[in-house]
Amino acid sequence: MLDHSEILSVLDMLRDEHLDLRTVTMGVSLLSCASDDLKRFTDNIYDRISRKAEKLVRTCDLVGEKYGIPVVNKRVSVSPIAVAAAPFSAEQMLVVANTLDRAAHTVDVDFIGGFSALVEKGIASGDQALIDALPQALTETERVCASINVATTRAGINMDAILLMGRQIKRASEMSADKDGIACAKLCVFANIPQDIPFMAGAYLGIGEADVVINVGVSGPGVVKKAIDRALEDTPNLDLQQISELIKRTAYKVTRAGELIGREVAEHLGVRFGVVDLSLAPTPNVGDSVGEIFQSLGIGSIGMPGSTAALALLNDAIKKGGAFASSNVGGLSGAFIPVSEDLNISESARKGYLSLEKLEAMTSVCSVGLDMVALPGDTSADTLAAIIADEMAIGVINRKTTAARIIPVPGKKAGDHAYFGGLLGESVIMSVNGATGNNLFVERGGLIPSPIQSLTN
Amino acid sequence: MKKFIISVLGKDRPGIIAAVTRVLFEKNFNIEDVSQTILQSQFSGIFIVTGPDRIDPESLYTELREGTRDTNMHYHVREMDPAPFTWTECACESFVITTRGPDRKGLVSEITAVLANHNVNVTQLQAVFRGGVEPGKNIMIYEVDIPLDVDHQRLRSDLKSKGNELDLEVNFQHKNIFKAMNRL
Repeated sequence: MLDHSEILSVLDMLRDEHLDLRTVTMGVSLLSCASDDLKRFTDNIYDRISRKAEKLVRTCDLVGEKYGIPVVNKRVSVSPIAVAAAPFSAEQMLVVANTLDRAAHTVDVDFIGGFSALVEKGIASGDQALIDALPQALTETERVCASINVATTRAGINMDAILLMGRQIKRASEMSADKDGIACAKLCVFANIPQDIPFMAGAYLGIGEADVVINVGVSGPGVVKKAIDRALEDTPNLDLQQISELIKRTAYKVTRAGELIGREVAEHLGVRFGVVDLSLAPTPNVGDSVGEIFQSLGIGSIGMPGSTAALALLNDAIKKGGAFASSNVGGLSGAFIPVSEDLNISESARKGYLSLEKLEAMTSVCSVGLDMVALPGDTSADTLAAIIADEMAIGVINRKTTAARIIPVPGKKAGDHAYFGGLLGESVIMSVNGATGNNLFVERGGLIPSPIQSLTN
Repeated sequence: MKKFIISVLGKDRPGIIAAVTRVLFEKNFNIEDVSQTILQSQFSGIFIVTGPDRIDPESLYTELREGTRDTNMHYHVREMDPAPFTWTECACESFVITTRGPDRKGLVSEITAVLANHNVNVTQLQAVFRGGVEPGKNIMIYEVDIPLDVDHQRLRSDLKSKGNELDLEVNFQHKNIFKAMNRL
């Protein structure tokens, strides 16, 4: 027999605190589709994705209904296309991207990730072709997401790749200038990319993964905020250790819901269950915000002094709760701070409490990086590359994932407003500390060697 | 050995269970199963016991009445078929149905009628009146067993439309989600 408080706490999370299963992402390996004939390759990948993910959406809906927890997004991630489609040219990569988009429409998923390359140590011909195709591929397609891993703790930081990415981001934004450079919102540059992220735009299926796998992303910033608010209402003088314990217990509950549903979806589809990624991923809705958690913790607005420490506490407590709840915790697992996707964070940037530099500092203690950051349209490719390089360095030295999803908004300047729509939200354009023109440091290129902490063998 | 089911009802106070079980022990009965609860000020208990063949329900009733006179309890005693009984041959899954909304007469009757129509068995029913000045927060919790051959879509849709009719928000969830999220 269940205690009624057990039932009511779950109902409150669902009804008033935006608890949901943010994404069920099916990873589909495309390595068996290999061919140097473009038509054969694209037929193969289209057939394989459509066949494997045919029942994904329906199954997620049924299982979500059974437990009363909606699966908001259903997605597909694939093997890195730069590997699977290595023989092809940039022009041919565009055909591949369009095929992925078509497959995503056929199986009715909102995004397909894996238009990706891993270039932390060097750029192979398939990688080069994919990166060359990126601006047009992201502009032409609707649902394709791309990620480029340019650095790892073991390999170092590939500055040639970073400079290239600075230029491609600039081009992608110019090609989608009529939509405030939205093509860049579907592109993440990574250090230490995990092989099993279910969240977009970084999801791809790693080379070391099984043929088909289900990874689940759970969210719930609203649940954490309400848990803190309720506890403080009862005991106003709670200290930070007690609050950390509370966040941990809340994260445990949310992770367990994700694992239960993920495993059942995997079982129904007859595929392997991969990981639960418990990441506090906000949406542009009131009550579904990571920024609001900072206010509950006592910081006037995210970005003010104390924010980095608060984020460190939050991120760590989430990881601990998640790790206790499931032996299959993976992906990013922590707190996201995407500026445009979180009403409270973008408002803080607009009011000037949150600067690009403070945001970068905060990413040294959380699970992602500079995420959905709108920048002035005249930011140079060199400056974009330098911002990425800084972010990658944080990841490489701290042996953690960091990413940059930055959007130079054509024709707009710092303080103007960028609008991306839907889950991608809207944001003030943040200023870039006066940087203009060339940056000789990034133009030197080459590899920043792997740090001493990589020598662990 | 005979098997009996005994229900015990009366005003709650210390010593009720002690008095009832002392009589059962002295008359050589073994308690197989027991469940008790207190609603407002009233004690309610159900005992399933096995005991000597020579005893019939009437004499057990008398023993209980006489042996626990001080407690002023009401008893009902019936002999049970010792063979196990299940209400359906079909395997069942456990779900939790919750309704939230203003209290009024007939809510439970209307909701359980829908459940009965779909051959769904209520195993626990709890009322959580935490509304106070906000009647909209009154909640009823039905734990139910649903045979695997029941069409969930139809049941869900019938419950939702009954909920709309009664101004109730109805939720329908597999029990495991509550266990998974609350228990180690």
